[in-house]
Amino acid sequence: MHLTGLDLLFWAAGFGAHLILLSVLLIRRRFKQFPIFTAFIFANVLRTIALYFVGRLGTKAAYFYTFWSLGILDTLLQVSVVYEMYALTFRPLGRWARDTRAAFKRLAMSTIVVAAGLTWLAAPHARLWIQVVVIKGTFFSSVLMSELFVGMIALSVKAGLPWKTHVARISQGLGLYSAVDVLVEAGHSYFGVGPSAQIYTTLSHVRMSAYLTCVGYWVVMLWREAPAGREMPGRFLSQLIQLKDVADSDLERIRVRK
Amino acid sequence: MVDSRTVVFFVAIAAFLVLMATIAIRSYRRARKSSDGDWEHLLKRLQVVDRSSIAEVALDIIDESGQQRRDEGSALLKPEQIWKLVGGLKGLEVLKTNCAVLIDLAFYVQQWYPEALVVAEELRLSAREIEWHVERLKSAERTGKLKSAFAMYAQPAVGKYYLMTQRLLALYEQGNLPMLADLRKAL
Repeated sequence: MHLTGLDLLFWAAGFGAHLILLSVLLIRRRFKQFPIFTAFIFANVLRTIALYFVGRLGTKAAYFYTFWSLGILDTLLQVSVVYEMYALTFRPLGRWARDTRAAFKRLAMSTIVVAAGLTWLAAPHARLWIQVVVIKGTFFSSVLMSELFVGMIALSVKAGLPWKTHVARISQGLGLYSAVDVLVEAGHSYFGVGPSAQIYTTLSHVRMSAYLTCVGYWVVMLWREAPAGREMPGRFLSQLIQLKDVADSDLERIRVRK
Repeated sequence: MVDSRTVVFFVAIAAFLVLMATIAIRSYRRARKSSDGDWEHLLKRLQVVDRSSIAEVALDIIDESGQQRRDEGSALLKPEQIWKLVGGLKGLEVLKTNCAVLIDLAFYVQQWYPEALVVAEELRLSAREIEWHVERLKSAERTGKLKSAFAMYAQPAVGKYYLMTQRLLALYEQGNLPMLADLRKAL
């Protein structure tokens, strides 16, 4: 497979950025709070190494299958990262907040329907059916991811559940990257894979630049410590307990009357 | 030449991205509003209502301590009277707004005071459920079934509101907070 100097630069930059991020996650011990996110970054490092050796030593077909197999794994890990961010936000006491369960179901249904609808509208210009599947699959994934992150923001605000600092930073990075990816994949769909694949490659470089920016953002934000919690004045705590008791007793009354 | 399906595709993408950006920006603004300021500022967002009317509706079914009244003189108000005293849908909106203040209060506490997480989460859940009951009343109003639903939900909800304002006043008194006089005047 022929790689240009720019391709190699992106390859090296991506590999280096993932290694730095992985080091940050290990040194700052963030892997304890974000095991799935750490696995996602670690898988990206392994993926780059595997593709390097398959590209150098394997056939074109072997590279193709390795690339897309690992791409599917990458997408599954991204969805798992979304789950991790949801769990860290919507399980404040170690179990899913009961007032958000119905909203989760509605969100899951609507995100899949919208992503499927937009993917159905896409009509990629490609010679092979597998190229159509690949373009449509990555487009569906990017739309779904951006929806899930925006849905997470909206749901947490509606429910009144705050984000932990690092959860917010990881989600912002992945959410913004997904939004850029929607545009890139829409471009991939429109321009398709021509004989020279030049536009396809240029768009891929735009996507990689966005992702590298996102990884850089994570490196800086995950290196920094989250603001320390404040010690609650005893007076405020007792006020809060009283308010909670009133809300509970009133709620019981409303339930009885139902 | 661009075909019509491609045009529809790009219009749909543009609409999708605008919608996502709008939801994200609005949510961020609301989150910032919930966490900005301090405890006193959050409590100050409590909306003003006609306290005597609210008290009349509430004390028809509960006593000052919040206990259910079972004497002969209790539960005499008719739904139409309650509707008028509460101030109709506007009055219900106030109830909902004040529940939102409670939710913001829990948001604020969870964000800044990790050791109060359990209490804050329970308060948040209670406030969310109360909000849900008010929402049901509003839905009933929209479908023209408010009359039957009102008797079931409105008076207990107003009772809750009344007790909550009473409690807030007491909290301001206990905490000796600076805006107590203003709040008393407003309530």
